[in-house]
Amino acid sequence: MSSTDHAHHEGESYFDGPPGVLSKVWQWMSTVDHKKIGVMYLVAVLFMFFLGGVSALAVRYELLDPVRTVETMNEAGEMIQYTTGERLAGLTNIMGAKNANEVYNRIFTLHGAIMVFMFIIPSIPASLGNFFLPIMLGAKDVAFPRLNLLSWYIYVIGCLFGVFSILLGGVDTGWTFYTPYSTTTDADHWRVVLMILAAFILGFSSILTGMNFVVTVHKLRAPGMGWFDMPLFIWGVYATAIIQVLATPVVGITLLLLVFERVMHIGIFDPSMGGDPVLYQHFFWFYSHPVVYVMILPGMGIVSELLAVHSRKHIFGYRAIAFSSLGIAAVSFLVWGHHIFTAMGELAAVLFSGLTFLVAIPTAIKVFNWIATLYKGSIAINTPMLYGLIFLFTFSIGGLTGLPLATLATDLHLHDTYYVVAHFHYTMMGGTVMAFMGGLHHWWPKMFGKMYSEKGAMTGTVLVFIGFNLTFFTQFFLGTQGMPRRYANYVDEFQTLHMISTYGSWILLLGFLVHLGTFIVSLIAGDKAPPNPWGGLTLEWETESPPIEHNFHHEPIVTHGPYDFDKVVPPHWDPKDYPLPENPSSH
Amino acid sequence: MNTPTLASANMPFFQKMIFGDHGASEAAAWSDGLFMMITWFSAFFFVLLMGLMVAFVIIYRRRPGVPAKPSPSHNLNIEILWTVIPSASMLVMFVLGVRGYAMKMVAPDAAMELKVDAWKWAWKVTYPNGASSPETNFLSFESNMAQLEAGSTDPWMETKGLEYPVFYVPEDTAVSLRMNSQDVIHSFWIPEFRTKMDVIPNRYTGYAFHTPKLRDSDSVLDTSSMMQIPGRDMWIFCAEYCGDEHSRMAATLRVVPQETYDAKIKEWGQDKDPVVLGESLYKTMCKICHSVDGTPGTGPTWSSGNGFGFGYEAALANGQSVMRDDNYYRESILDPNAKVVSGFVPSMPAFQGQLSEDEIHGLIMYIQSLSDRNPNASESGEDNQQADDSAGSEG
Repeated sequence: MSSTDHAHHEGESYFDGPPGVLSKVWQWMSTVDHKKIGVMYLVAVLFMFFLGGVSALAVRYELLDPVRTVETMNEAGEMIQYTTGERLAGLTNIMGAKNANEVYNRIFTLHGAIMVFMFIIPSIPASLGNFFLPIMLGAKDVAFPRLNLLSWYIYVIGCLFGVFSILLGGVDTGWTFYTPYSTTTDADHWRVVLMILAAFILGFSSILTGMNFVVTVHKLRAPGMGWFDMPLFIWGVYATAIIQVLATPVVGITLLLLVFERVMHIGIFDPSMGGDPVLYQHFFWFYSHPVVYVMILPGMGIVSELLAVHSRKHIFGYRAIAFSSLGIAAVSFLVWGHHIFTAMGELAAVLFSGLTFLVAIPTAIKVFNWIATLYKGSIAINTPMLYGLIFLFTFSIGGLTGLPLATLATDLHLHDTYYVVAHFHYTMMGGTVMAFMGGLHHWWPKMFGKMYSEKGAMTGTVLVFIGFNLTFFTQFFLGTQGMPRRYANYVDEFQTLHMISTYGSWILLLGFLVHLGTFIVSLIAGDKAPPNPWGGLTLEWETESPPIEHNFHHEPIVTHGPYDFDKVVPPHWDPKDYPLPENPSSH
Repeated sequence: MNTPTLASANMPFFQKMIFGDHGASEAAAWSDGLFMMITWFSAFFFVLLMGLMVAFVIIYRRRPGVPAKPSPSHNLNIEILWTVIPSASMLVMFVLGVRGYAMKMVAPDAAMELKVDAWKWAWKVTYPNGASSPETNFLSFESNMAQLEAGSTDPWMETKGLEYPVFYVPEDTAVSLRMNSQDVIHSFWIPEFRTKMDVIPNRYTGYAFHTPKLRDSDSVLDTSSMMQIPGRDMWIFCAEYCGDEHSRMAATLRVVPQETYDAKIKEWGQDKDPVVLGESLYKTMCKICHSVDGTPGTGPTWSSGNGFGFGYEAALANGQSVMRDDNYYRESILDPNAKVVSGFVPSMPAFQGQLSEDEIHGLIMYIQSLSDRNPNASESGEDNQQADDSAGSEG
């Protein structure tokens, strides 16, 4: 590779810093380099994923068996009474809870709040987005580098508020903070207010990052890069950024009103003071439904990259995918009502049901496009590609199982059951997390300059796939058969399915541990990564692995599309190793 | 429209796997049919798409030196086709969904209206004659009886089921619900009718269902007579998260012949011994938080001993202390947060306007009967017995 030997002469990699631990730390904490900030976000969101994952495992552990009080006679002939199945009861005193049920309620709330606000919303845009958006555009940095660092600090402060609330015992409101429960529970404690403020603060990080990305995409594209020459990952992050900027202020105001309501009892949501508790749900979902697409659109962007690069095919229907991202972003603002079909009038329910089906159409089109991309490709089976295929599998299940939820008659049965839990885990985890894992493996060599063990990564991937489906596919049946969500306890006939689900969560854990091990081994002892290990055509593959501090030695000029695999030999590749077809197709 | 068959024997395999049993009403069977239709539609496209994906991955797997074959990167006709097919299919689902929704929501004119009240953490149903059901049912009761009958006495083990109220409805009748919550939002879900609706504090919500005709095999244990009677039990679950005992906020809906229903509500509508009334109110409404055997719960126990119970001083959270007398209990029922006992947090909903004078009186009489300082002890042999028991356990 020609670039490896001049890396030390022409420019240092972005993480070569001054000697000395303290000055290194200071260099990272005060950096305005989007790559360092991306890595800092990556570390932070993965830590939050770990916390959220531990609480998910605790939830599954409690649900391994139902809680029962058993009365029996001991050897001395006395009647004794004991309780079985309260597996988290040992935490009651540590968390200062009233009983084992409250422990469970706090832990599922932590799982939801951490995973949504602190992990999945910032996950892809803030880590991979920060690192790759400017490079893929051919820019030196984002439009406002200092604002970018500020977003990271705001994110960390928000997380600290959340963690502090957890250390004080945690909250039992559910991550949705529905009123009037959230305004009345633990009335003499500040924990709930702290957790709400955490979500409020995290919102500002989200807004600032979104604004930064919108401006970067508009103003900093390399010469020659028109809107339709942008990689689809950029389109995904761009649509996301627009939603973040438009929707997050609404939840900011809502959460602030919630704090006022709790602390000053002003009576906006409290029915005993003339307020309307359902109004809160409308405010909340006006933000939180679009945010569902903040979670999934960047993942869809990653999958577009994975499938195209690793099958050496031009993405099928580039414009359809790009416009469907924007279409989803627009329609996502009109469908919040489908979260509250059981709390609204008939006319509103019918309207929201119709609008909800509308958002399914662009999503379906994307899936068709991705599968058509594979047609006549040169398909490599490696970890990033495998995650791309897993995404198609799990996300399709997630999307299709959404249809009975958009259908009013069936939603009345399925709403607030494990069916919904399974559905949104198939879209959020089966969609976003699988895409995130795929993207992480795809760009890992670029970010850290090291290859990972393909065997280790594949093992982890297969375990994650099996564990994920065992954990969540069972939950569809729990839901249709009558198991409500957020239950610490259940009737006996649900036990078999709950047990399978819990065992699945352990396999899932094992899969992620294998991934963690593979990444650590890669950082310590991985082979040096070439600049373009997969033969990608987007701009990040033109620079070194890891990139130099200012990304490129010279401002790149874009002369080909991001997916012209049949016309262009990828940068840093020998034409002998990259055969081109005789008659390239016309795009 | 098809009339549902209620015999599980001829139920399609996958439908049985998904729902466990048939929906109990025509609307429920109809929405199950719609669900199965959407599921088969989804399964078809899922298998088609995944089949294509796997086939492409195998056929076009990477071979060294072989480039990807050229193929168009877009095709207007196929893109129009795969936009129109999902759009048309979803239009059908939407229309059928609205139709099924109307079947579940709109009550026939002649529907019998039940009033449903909810609070943390119990349900109460008031029948048209003003009566409310005092009966309760045990979860795991049948398995317990089976265990006893099987004679497994070594070690003698009894699963003490949780006690839930039983609400009666007559068979083959249209029923509509008018629901209201006294505190946070709950959701009244009867899985076998495939319908739920949120129960909200500041307004009425509701839905309707038509109860099924009983099958010959439908029989339930009547706990008041300890006899098997014709009837069919269904779970009622709270489906909207409402706090500590959310997962225990359940009840049983019991479909019985019209005569049984009429006899039951007539009996409950009549005057009663206040202690018996109080006890039945306790079992259906208060038991989830307050014990009568001294066990700590979400609220203070009602039995005497350890400073609890009628006639004993209560240490309050604000440092004061107050005598637990008739007026203390009355206030604590109607305005529970006025005096909060030390060690507990205010979490009980106010029952102001929810209970009749007779019911409040019944509850207080019942609470008195649990104390060894029961002022009425000399008038009733049974109460004496209880008082003696409590006194005995203290000594």
